[in-house]
Amino acid sequence: MTNVKSAMTRFRRSPAFVGFILFLVALVLNALLQGPASFFTVKTINTLFAKNVPFILVTIAQSILLLAGTMDVSCGVQVALVNVVIIMCGQELGLPFFVCCLLGIAAAVIASLVCWVCCSVFRLPALLASYALTYAIKGVNVLIMSVPQGKVAKVYYKAYDSQILGFIPVSALALVLVLLIWLYVKRTRFGSHIYAVGANPRNAFAAGISPVKVQLKAFLLKGVIVGIAGICITLMIASGNPLQAEDYGLRSLSACIIGGLGFGGWGSVSCAVFGSGFYVFIQNSVYYFFSLLVKMIPGFSVTSYWQNFVSDIIIFLGLLMTIVTAKGQREALKQGIVSQFRLNGKPAAAGKEGDGDEN
Amino acid sequence: MKTNVATGNMSAGQRVKSFIQKSPARMAFIIACILYIATIAISPSSLNASAIGSIIMLTLLLSFASAGQTIVLIGGGMDFGVGAVMSSAAILTTTIMNSQDGHFLQLLVTALAMGALVGMINGLCTVKIGLPPLIVTMAIANVVTRMQYVLTQGSPMGYASPTFIKSVTARLFGLQFLPSIVLYAIIIIPLVYFLLNRSRFGKQVYLVGNNPVAARLNGVNVAKIQVLTYVFSGMFAAFAGMLGAAYMNAARCQIFDEYAYNSLIAVIIGGTLFSGGVGSYTGSIAGSLVLVVLSNLLTAVGFTQPQRNVAMGLIMVALLILYNREKNVRQ
Repeated sequence: MTNVKSAMTRFRRSPAFVGFILFLVALVLNALLQGPASFFTVKTINTLFAKNVPFILVTIAQSILLLAGTMDVSCGVQVALVNVVIIMCGQELGLPFFVCCLLGIAAAVIASLVCWVCCSVFRLPALLASYALTYAIKGVNVLIMSVPQGKVAKVYYKAYDSQILGFIPVSALALVLVLLIWLYVKRTRFGSHIYAVGANPRNAFAAGISPVKVQLKAFLLKGVIVGIAGICITLMIASGNPLQAEDYGLRSLSACIIGGLGFGGWGSVSCAVFGSGFYVFIQNSVYYFFSLLVKMIPGFSVTSYWQNFVSDIIIFLGLLMTIVTAKGQREALKQGIVSQFRLNGKPAAAGKEGDGDEN
Repeated sequence: MKTNVATGNMSAGQRVKSFIQKSPARMAFIIACILYIATIAISPSSLNASAIGSIIMLTLLLSFASAGQTIVLIGGGMDFGVGAVMSSAAILTTTIMNSQDGHFLQLLVTALAMGALVGMINGLCTVKIGLPPLIVTMAIANVVTRMQYVLTQGSPMGYASPTFIKSVTARLFGLQFLPSIVLYAIIIIPLVYFLLNRSRFGKQVYLVGNNPVAARLNGVNVAKIQVLTYVFSGMFAAFAGMLGAAYMNAARCQIFDEYAYNSLIAVIIGGTLFSGGVGSYTGSIAGSLVLVVLSNLLTAVGFTQPQRNVAMGLIMVALLILYNREKNVRQ
């Protein structure tokens, strides 16, 4: 009994907790608004995964970089790069699909390496450097494929859309694969080095960890995950589009923050999963809420502009809530674990001391 | 901390870096001149007064937008919403003016109030609640952008009034290279200099950006100063948006969104540090000049749009490397 209780307390103090609460609330909201009968069907869950796995994977990749102390706003255009490379290799060079996918992953890894050189070796501000690279990669995308075109063999994209064992979506397998990779990586030394380097690179260097090498591995891992996301998007749209997914970069950043990550050394990859899940469910919820309103109030019609507006406001409020409580957690951690135990296991008051105190 | 090594002992690379970092603004002006000479070398027909006038106009527009960004960065924050506020101000301009004269004062008050309001929300969320400025200004910029779409249903109507357009784009005294936006600059630029260098507020902004704890212990109201920097940023961005609407005649949603990043890069190239406490408005003007001349050069070379994007991205990375002042991890 005490084991369960201490596990629950540990989870409550972990960074992913607030993200998890937001995720649950959004999930319940979505289920209620869509109608539980239609939400828990195989078809709905399949569509949910199939359409959103690329975004969730990009958020996971972004979270690994955030843990390591950098960020990469060009994740989105890198996904488009992978998509374009896969389609054009198949179309122009006639390579088999499997080889094209490997080439796509290689393209993502190369783009990540360029970003690594700028952010880690030259120590440029990660935001500006990766934004400059967004420009460059966007140009490269259009140079490779000038107009949206191409097709994917039917067997592949049908497979992506289908389920295994009757209810597990194939797209969810990509997500599970990436999470398994991360679970393995976390147990290696590299896993703890990431947190050290993200929190304080100088202290990590003094302890014998090379921030440049650790960030190199983080960028490589992120390149592979972005490559997998690119494969998923190729299967999802079954063609090529050089101009898509550009907003994934910034949206994945705010999804990570909603999930509870901080800019270096704080948080875990589950924060990213919960954050991106929150995004997905909120957008669905707003859509179903408005269609409910249309049904209930005769003559009420609203454009998609209102839906986007409301969902962005909700995301902003979610951000406020996350950071207020996460800040409380971080302050409590800094003040010492002992005082936490003394307060009946409750984290210290959340964010009440935020008085321009952000040193 | 940079120790003052005798110039003879430094390698060429270190000498270049110390020349750059002693006065980033001067370096930026030199880079702009080099780029412009390259433009003329590649396409000699671009050396005409009207083209110079366009460069001056775009530079001044970006400088007005970067004015607020400079103040915020010196104070230790970052304002990602400059683009969204500019676009909203542009849409406000075309909607309120609707091609008729006489609404200028009403427009000015509305736009500045909107900018100040957005700036205040930015400032309060960053300072009082303690959110990282990048994330909160980005989220608020998103909301402001969505509001543009909602209020105009995606297609803003109207044009700026003819007098207003003339007051921005007409050429003074018949000289093709002197756009009348210079008249606005005569008001704004000394205003920014006064704010940053001669007023108590400016001194306190530098202090707060440099060391907030020391500033607070010295009796500076850190929270108020930081919120005020965001308010100023919003107001300058709104004003720049108004002028931008006059320049572009008509507005569409998200028309000036790229100014968010461009103003950030212009300010960084101008020598302001990301961490705050150091910077000048001269540098931001120089940085804006570099960006505009660079864009001009890429057009003159005749690159297609994707090639321009690639070149722009790579050159921006090169500029950032030149201006990088991060200390080494090894010391």
